[in-house]
Amino acid sequence: MTQLAPERLPAAAPQPPTPASTGGARRRPWHRRVPTVALYVALAVMTLAILLPLLWIVLTSFKTDFDAISRPASPIPDPFTVDAYRTLSSGQQPIFRWFLNSLAAGALQTAIILVTASLGAYALARLEFRGKKIVFGMIVSTLLVPPVIFLIPNYLIVESLGWLDTIWAITVPGAAGAFGIFFLRQFFVGLPVEIEEAARLDGASDLRIFLQVVIPLSRPALATLAVLSFLSNWNDFLWPVYVLLSPENLTLQPGLSVLSGAYSTHFGIVMAGAVIASVPVLVLFTLAQRQIVDSVAASGVKG
Amino acid sequence: MNRSLVTRAVAVAATVGLGISLAGCSAGGSSSTGTVSGADYTGPKVTIDFWNGWTGGAAPVIVPELVKQFNAEHDNIVVKSVPMEWADIASKMPLAIKAGKGPDVAVAHGDDVATYAAQGLLLDSGDIVDGLGYTADDFPEGLFEGNQYQGTQYGIPWSVTPLGLYINNDVLKEAGVDTTVPTDADSYEASLAALKAAGVQGEWVDGYVFTGTFEFESLVWQFGGDLYDEDVTKATFNSDAGVQALQHMVDQIDKGYSPQNVPQDGNFNALVKGENAYNWNGVWQTTNEALQDVDFSVAPLPQIGTEKAVWSSSTDWIFPSNKGQSADETSAAATFVKWMNDNSAGWAETGELPAANDVRDDPALVEKYPNLKPFLDQLPYAHYETVAPGITAANAEITTAVGEAVLGKKTPKEALDDAAAQADKILEQNAQTYGG
Amino acid sequence: MADPLLSPAARTSRSARPGAPRRDLTAYAFLAPFLVLFALFVLVPAVYGLVISLHRWNSLVPVHPFIGLQNYVDLVTPGSLTFSDFWSSMRATGIFTVFSVPLLIVVPLLAAVLLNQNLKGTTFFRGVFFAPYVLGVAVIGVIWKYLLDPQAGVVNHLLGLIGLPDQTPWTVDVPWAWVSLVGVTIWWTAGLNTVILLAGLKGINADLYEAAALDGAGTVRKFWSVTLPGLRPVMIFVTTTTILASANMFGQSFLLTQGGPGTETRSAIMYIADQGLAQGNMGAASAMSYLLFAVLAVISVVNFRIQREKA
Repeated sequence: MTQLAPERLPAAAPQPPTPASTGGARRRPWHRRVPTVALYVALAVMTLAILLPLLWIVLTSFKTDFDAISRPASPIPDPFTVDAYRTLSSGQQPIFRWFLNSLAAGALQTAIILVTASLGAYALARLEFRGKKIVFGMIVSTLLVPPVIFLIPNYLIVESLGWLDTIWAITVPGAAGAFGIFFLRQFFVGLPVEIEEAARLDGASDLRIFLQVVIPLSRPALATLAVLSFLSNWNDFLWPVYVLLSPENLTLQPGLSVLSGAYSTHFGIVMAGAVIASVPVLVLFTLAQRQIVDSVAASGVKG
Repeated sequence: MNRSLVTRAVAVAATVGLGISLAGCSAGGSSSTGTVSGADYTGPKVTIDFWNGWTGGAAPVIVPELVKQFNAEHDNIVVKSVPMEWADIASKMPLAIKAGKGPDVAVAHGDDVATYAAQGLLLDSGDIVDGLGYTADDFPEGLFEGNQYQGTQYGIPWSVTPLGLYINNDVLKEAGVDTTVPTDADSYEASLAALKAAGVQGEWVDGYVFTGTFEFESLVWQFGGDLYDEDVTKATFNSDAGVQALQHMVDQIDKGYSPQNVPQDGNFNALVKGENAYNWNGVWQTTNEALQDVDFSVAPLPQIGTEKAVWSSSTDWIFPSNKGQSADETSAAATFVKWMNDNSAGWAETGELPAANDVRDDPALVEKYPNLKPFLDQLPYAHYETVAPGITAANAEITTAVGEAVLGKKTPKEALDDAAAQADKILEQNAQTYGG
Repeated sequence: MADPLLSPAARTSRSARPGAPRRDLTAYAFLAPFLVLFALFVLVPAVYGLVISLHRWNSLVPVHPFIGLQNYVDLVTPGSLTFSDFWSSMRATGIFTVFSVPLLIVVPLLAAVLLNQNLKGTTFFRGVFFAPYVLGVAVIGVIWKYLLDPQAGVVNHLLGLIGLPDQTPWTVDVPWAWVSLVGVTIWWTAGLNTVILLAGLKGINADLYEAAALDGAGTVRKFWSVTLPGLRPVMIFVTTTTILASANMFGQSFLLTQGGPGTETRSAIMYIADQGLAQGNMGAASAMSYLLFAVLAVISVVNFRIQREKA
């Protein structure tokens, strides 16, 4: 960070060099005069806006159905009951199974993407071959195509493959998108080529160079892609709603929708379902928050 | 060179695409309309899927019990009950059956049977019906024929579910209003006016299917109209009777008996909480636990119009004709249906009325479930759902119209006319698709 | 194998050099896994969908007669069955996009600027803002449907406590349903854009701000002349992805309002998916998806041009 020598400060407003304005701190484009307290208040307000609704939902999950709809609405469950959770554990709506399904699908799709996209991206970034421009052009041209185009034909394809109501339907088609391979290709192109050249001089095959040189250097990009792919699959709603049929094969998102419909006036139960669907994810997120958010941020800056 | 490669790639993709589509045309299209045998299943052990929409009331407890009992009594059949929302079944089952992933037996509402049959999704259930010895007289009038399509029997009636009037007695008492059950337009109006004077909005109307639409349809019939013409080629719910019916509902809001923007299930929730006194709802709500602590009673719908009429649906057994359907599984499914019919006395516990006349007319039924009596009393003048392939799409327009009028966006006449115009187009398209 | 006769410059250039030996077989071997998936689930469906759109294709009827462009003609002919439904769903998507995209840029931008200040715990706050995004659309839809329930939800209750109307039909009637849909979407995904914009802000060279300060620029001038131009590539990315995400909205309408009242908040995707997959009306639905694609393509190009020309 640049230290400002006192004589370079604007003469019109000589300021004592306080730590905040010169000592290792970055200059800010605005808000220099806004009291810091106001900024913290703003942050606090936004944090409450996010946490309070979630807290209310957790509290509701411990209310009876009657209590959940009664006015005046009180935050304290009266009576406090775990009936909602008990009902959900009884198996009528297999919410824990849905959670595992979502985990499995997310992991599977992420794995497929990482493998296929990295291999393909290496070819696009480092190898010369006939038709390279066409292949790359084809891939890039599909980047901005809205997924709705593929909805109906992919349904028919998935059906004819016999994949309806299976985990393949919700993982493989989604792994065919161009984003992963494009993202990794951009990253590989930016890697210094000397190490690969050196390995090549040593007689290493392309595969070895890929596995032992490129991949280790690409960890941040691979982590980013993994996080994005997993989140995208976790969040997937429209497609699983239509291709998954049996209740025990549902993933969490369509499952919650089914739960909400099945227990439409029983808000305690629905909120308990939402809590079960949220808590593990939020815990994982809190633990790995920094890496996850950094990865997502990197995707925008690189893309 | 680039261009020829691109052309080749496109050509390949196109050929593959066309190939798949042609294959789809020849193979996946027509499904077998085989028959279901009425004999008991004696083959190797099979597992059959049973899709149903019984996710509310007492059914989620009773159905698994029945299934468990059946499985215990039958070594070679395992029934897997798969409950899901009725709307989900409607949107997923047809394509699932085409793909061979549908159930082996299911229950559907009366207005779906003709559609599924026309779409080639169902097996002929004539033999089962013969095996059970059923004839049209065993069921409420018109129900048996309603399960046929082009002369073939596809569905077997299981239960009927009419609308009724739910009353929160505590609210009436607290408001100091006469607790005599209203039976016609005048007494109903009087009760609502008295409630309003006491500060209570007596009946909340809404534009949602299970309450608003069915209330509207009941009123249309009460005013002497009908939803469609005889051949189901034209929508007639925008007739004078229809406008009167919808106007009555809108009047509830204008007169202050109902708030305007009632959310889904809002009127039922309000009844439970004691915020309103009357709710037009289906018989299935009699077993909703939320009502357990409420002093409620049920009554036949008041006769607002010139005739007695009430909306009712039916739930019927159907045997999907999955792609690659195994005859063994269908046979096992038939055994299951027969067994369920024989053991159907306890079905009234779920709040649905058994369709079979003798089961329903048994005095013991009303003794055990007194809340069902008002619904039973209405059956002689109940109207069941229209039978025509693809009718549900046209029916959806009715719900849209009711919603628009109730929310004050269009006058009842405008809303109904617009909906009827759309419905007519849908009916025309249905005729084209299903050959009338 | 590397050619030692090549100049060092050629050897160290970033991408594979022209004139290097072609390794077709190896390259396609590397690409094969991806290309198989890509061909089967992207290329083939793109063409297949077009083919379907040229037929009267109902998945539940065995015969699919070729009808040329009739599906498309129906979509632009007032009075046809699909015309009014399709265009009202496009209108719904349009309304949602127009109202959500600007807010999904401005609010995250302000939040990102806020987080970029030299305050304690910004990593924590950053995580908090992002957190709703990992919950998934169904969780969001289900909880906000309850919170915004006009009778049973706590939002109306709180509004009543502070003297505002407490019967607002957040999930039942327009225009409040739009407020709900846009509001919930912001609550859910603003964090995503915030995080990306924040990374973009951090990438702006601090010296530029000092140079501007020396030129006498105040805080607002600095924002316009340093921050925004510095954010341009990230902004293009965020704007494009946000427009696409809003135009493809499905879950919020499906869960919060069920497309209601009537079908007023039924988004284009909801309608297309229902027509094509639930009703089996695949020919018409495919045509609709291509029409939506065409509209989005035009918007994307326009957006790209506008953002580039700002330079």
